[in-house]
Amino acid sequence: MENSITKSKNIKEVDINKPKFTVKEFKRQWILVAISAVYVVYGIIFYYLPLAGWIMAFQHFVYAKGITGSKWVGLDKFKFLFNDKTFLMVIRNTFAMGVLNLFFSTIVAIAFAILLNEVRTRWFKKSIQTISYLPHFLSWIIVVAIVHDALTSTGIINEILMKVGILKQPYAFLGDPKLFWGIVTFSNLWKETGWNAIIYLAAITSIDPCLYESASIDGAGRFQKMLYVTLPGLRPTIMILLLMNMGNVLNAGFELQYLLGNGLVQNVSRTIDIYILDWALDARNLDYSLGTAAGIFKTVVSMTFILGSNYIAKKRGDERLF
Amino acid sequence: MAQIEEVSFERIKHKKKMATEDLIFYIFNTLFLLLFALVTLYPILNTLAYSFNEGNDAVRGGIHLLPRKWSLRSYHEILFERPGIRVGAKITVLRTILGTLTSLAANALLSFILSRKKFLFKSSLSLFWIITMYASGGMIPVLILFRYLHLTSSFWVYIIPGMVSAFNVMVMRTYMQGIPDSLEEAAQLEGAGYMRVFVSIITPLCKPVYATIALFVAVYHWNSWFDAMLYNRFDPQYTTLQYELMKLLDSVSATTGASSSSAAQMTQANANTITPITVRAAATIATMAPIVALYPFLQRYFVTGLTIGGVKE
Amino acid sequence: MKTKKIVSLILGSMLAVTSLAACSTGTPGDTTAATTGGDQPAVTDGGKEIVDFTMFAAMAGKEKNEGNEIKEIIAEKTGVRVNETWLTGQDAGEAIGSIIASGKLPDLIDGGDGSVTLYENGLLVAWDPYLEKYPNLKEMYTDQEWDQFRMEDGHIYWANVFGNSYQYNTATGHNGEAFWIQNRVLEWANYPKIETLDEYFKLLEDFAAANPELPDGTPVIPYTCLCEDWKYFCLENPPMFLDGYPNDGCVIVNIDAGMDKPQVVDYNTTETAKMYFKKMNEEYAKGALDPDFATQTYDEYIAKLSTGRVLGLCDQYWDFAYSIMGPFASPLEATDGTTFRLDELGCDYVPLGLVAKKGMDQQWHSYDDELNCSSGCAVTTSCKDPDLAFAFLSALLDQDIHDLRFWGIEGVDYLVDENGLYYRTEEMRENWKSDSYKAKHTCEYSYCPQWMGMSKDGINRMQPGEQPSEFIEGLAAPLRKTFEAYGAGTYAEFINSKIVVNAPWYPLWSWSNSISSDTPGGIAWKKMGETKHLWLPTVVMSSDFEGDWANYMAAYAECNPQDFLNEAQAEVDTRLATAQSYGWTPT
Repeated sequence: MENSITKSKNIKEVDINKPKFTVKEFKRQWILVAISAVYVVYGIIFYYLPLAGWIMAFQHFVYAKGITGSKWVGLDKFKFLFNDKTFLMVIRNTFAMGVLNLFFSTIVAIAFAILLNEVRTRWFKKSIQTISYLPHFLSWIIVVAIVHDALTSTGIINEILMKVGILKQPYAFLGDPKLFWGIVTFSNLWKETGWNAIIYLAAITSIDPCLYESASIDGAGRFQKMLYVTLPGLRPTIMILLLMNMGNVLNAGFELQYLLGNGLVQNVSRTIDIYILDWALDARNLDYSLGTAAGIFKTVVSMTFILGSNYIAKKRGDERLF
Repeated sequence: MAQIEEVSFERIKHKKKMATEDLIFYIFNTLFLLLFALVTLYPILNTLAYSFNEGNDAVRGGIHLLPRKWSLRSYHEILFERPGIRVGAKITVLRTILGTLTSLAANALLSFILSRKKFLFKSSLSLFWIITMYASGGMIPVLILFRYLHLTSSFWVYIIPGMVSAFNVMVMRTYMQGIPDSLEEAAQLEGAGYMRVFVSIITPLCKPVYATIALFVAVYHWNSWFDAMLYNRFDPQYTTLQYELMKLLDSVSATTGASSSSAAQMTQANANTITPITVRAAATIATMAPIVALYPFLQRYFVTGLTIGGVKE
Repeated sequence: MKTKKIVSLILGSMLAVTSLAACSTGTPGDTTAATTGGDQPAVTDGGKEIVDFTMFAAMAGKEKNEGNEIKEIIAEKTGVRVNETWLTGQDAGEAIGSIIASGKLPDLIDGGDGSVTLYENGLLVAWDPYLEKYPNLKEMYTDQEWDQFRMEDGHIYWANVFGNSYQYNTATGHNGEAFWIQNRVLEWANYPKIETLDEYFKLLEDFAAANPELPDGTPVIPYTCLCEDWKYFCLENPPMFLDGYPNDGCVIVNIDAGMDKPQVVDYNTTETAKMYFKKMNEEYAKGALDPDFATQTYDEYIAKLSTGRVLGLCDQYWDFAYSIMGPFASPLEATDGTTFRLDELGCDYVPLGLVAKKGMDQQWHSYDDELNCSSGCAVTTSCKDPDLAFAFLSALLDQDIHDLRFWGIEGVDYLVDENGLYYRTEEMRENWKSDSYKAKHTCEYSYCPQWMGMSKDGINRMQPGEQPSEFIEGLAAPLRKTFEAYGAGTYAEFINSKIVVNAPWYPLWSWSNSISSDTPGGIAWKKMGETKHLWLPTVVMSSDFEGDWANYMAAYAECNPQDFLNEAQAEVDTRLATAQSYGWTPT
């Protein structure tokens, strides 16, 4: 127990020490530098070159005229977005669902991985793990159909609640804006918990078994071992995933919300991506510029989150991305 | 003597307490996991039931764990009726194998570099890759780029562009950082270069994370169809399994062209047909099956007993 | 990884071209070489060279199997074989955008909503010279109609192939909107004349009270209403029809002041609208309106209809009828162990043209062809041999090939009686409903030029669905009986709308569907839609109808609907002026 804490502290300290740039050091790791250079070229070609398309956000882009011929409109597209009450609303929705999802999916996946790890019977452990990740392969259409089925006026949830006397008449769960975010979060958990837990399971394998042994000798119980050995062992993985997913908060998705939503809950269900589909991707009326502007906004927010949280992690001496 | 007895008695008491605590925990844990498994198994069984149900009957809904009217039509349609399926399956298997191997190698090597504590560009190179996760040029610019790189209308568009994924790199890097430096230092003292360290020391210890990433990448390739449509729309020789299934699903959903949409179809349709709901279910099961079959081979790397695995310092 | 994929997908779909200038001028060699890989002439058994063309239609559709029988026969006759590809998982605009960017075009294309983009990029071949060369094609439309297809540069780039009748419209169906009712309900009440909402809902409620369950024990739902996404028109637009106006889709065009002085009116705020929604509100409170109507998905809606539970609904025919035919024709087990079929029970729906006040005329059904000029069949600049492509499109309109496409092979797919009338046996009809038979045998080229209406032989119809004998043969017995009871031979006769010549601005939805959100009117139109999506179900479900209706009206006014109405009025005026310039006069 003690061991693990001091050990991880040591790692942190080493981590903070930046390598000094010297010719000798450079020569020593020339192979690493050379290979990285290849990766950088690859990254520039496949990820950075296409970013030239961002220019469109500052134009009124017309397909036929291309980038060279389209009219420049400066920040008009951004102004349109931020003057639109609906856009501010969809930011709120996206953010709320993104944060809820990040919070719960992380916690539940970790809890699931740790609990599964406690199972001694291998066949049981393997079976549960296999079953749990399967829903990942179902499309949202299938999952939403099942969720919908359960929540309609004659669905199983209403039936149970009426039988035990909590409800007198069927409740329209799907039409209640207050419940929508919860339903989305639950659906996400249902479909992805097992899949998300795989990374944590893999990370648990790297924890030194000696730590468990010495914890046992120190008289640590099952829960204590989970709390003071397994969880700290998972810490780097948790931190990295948390940091990366921080940048995905605004990517709360569109398929699930689109399929689950309806007119009654549209003020809480629509996300930025749905807004883009509605306003910029209307088949008859493609506004690439507006879509690009919204995309840039998302990227800027994501990067701000990432840089901010990475900075905090660095200050605290935690695991960080860069 | 008395003293010793007392101590051991205390110990036994302590152990007993532990055992009951353990027992209660095990019971609850097992029950909880069973419940969890039941909840997650339901959608799968439901899909399975739909996939074996007759199409027109399935439209009526209300199918839960067992089919109401058995039929193999949907599977027949998926597996035998479409000429593109065989080509698609071949390409998909090929890209899954090749794509997983190349991607794993590319991601692992980059992760290795980024996990070296003394690497001079560690921070900046990490940031360079992190950015690629959140900033995307989008479909059209990418398409034009690929066209000039002659990647469209080719098989390689499935392999080359997606080879490095920042997400996977970060996951692997984290795992590699957890491996004690002492091992690398010892090897370097014996004169091993970075590549030696990567191949003979890091890689064998990274099996669990390699298996995880391999699973992610393989599943990605196995399920891909959008790229097949985007880059090889008019090149049926490069179609993929999922693209063929998507096309099938869309064509089943399509009420035939507005032209013939009058009385020809106003007459009653024949029984035992396929409908989107059963085809979707059958396609889901059919694509899931191979992954499930191969899964145990990967699973053994990251689901292990408490005492197996791990790194001894 | 999953999120990543979605991000790139979304971002992708909206980000566009770095330099489309390069793309549009293009490198023709580059594009054609690739597309027409299959263009190398292949020698068939007959020794005739057959050219393979590719075609993309920005619509969902069914692919044909390789070696499709009728496709091969047509190939023998015309020297051309076309392999069709359809829209998958994208919408038309995205698909066309990505096809252009990929630089690889098919030979023939129907760009759907992306057609204009193709034109703007200079990727289409003008029809003009070929129209003179191929009279079959020219014959499709009058000069005035062809002029409506002309783009800004004065050329014609595509022709709409649908709903175009040879000689005259012979439609047997009612593909449009109506309040539908199961024919057994009408039979139960001894075939009454139903004209108003009150009569309609009273009948539904009475029937449901008397027959609360189907033979298999499923409880009935008197009325349901789809309001998912853009299909909320089922809830939204009846006020337009109830006031006796045709389906302009976005507004009422009032002609009280004369056909030459049309006046645009908003149907959302009329007295009739309030009456209709109040009625819906009452029905909801009574439980006659499906409690899940506001949240149901399209699949759930179809599932409900498929069980035969739903007695009445308001929808357009194509949106529900094809999906429920199969389930209605499959045998089910009743609670007493016998089997029954829903169509034989009389669950098939018939259309009612309801009005706000008894005795009013209505125009739920439109008898004339509706010309939609916004998209159609086109030949791309990547096509190696445009002349051959147009020759092929022309040949498709030859009566013998047209018959092959829609009737099939004589003796195999249809028979001819002594009067020259085509007919099918039960088996042939079943074949033409089977997907696998169609995939290997039939070849409609459904997005290429085609006719509806009378065949050139003067006896038959161009398409079997419009052949009166075939139509009646295909109806289930109770449905036939109901048609007879009302003295109707077709759905169109059944709904019995007023016969009017389409106004020159009709249908206005062809404008509102493509309105751009760059103008105040366009923005208002979008906002109005969003507001109605929230408020219409809200007022229907409200326990305080008057209060919520006032709230709705306030929210609606905030969208500036007048901006939209002004633009609609301008469009009506423009269309009227165009028609007048061709010599149109009010009758």
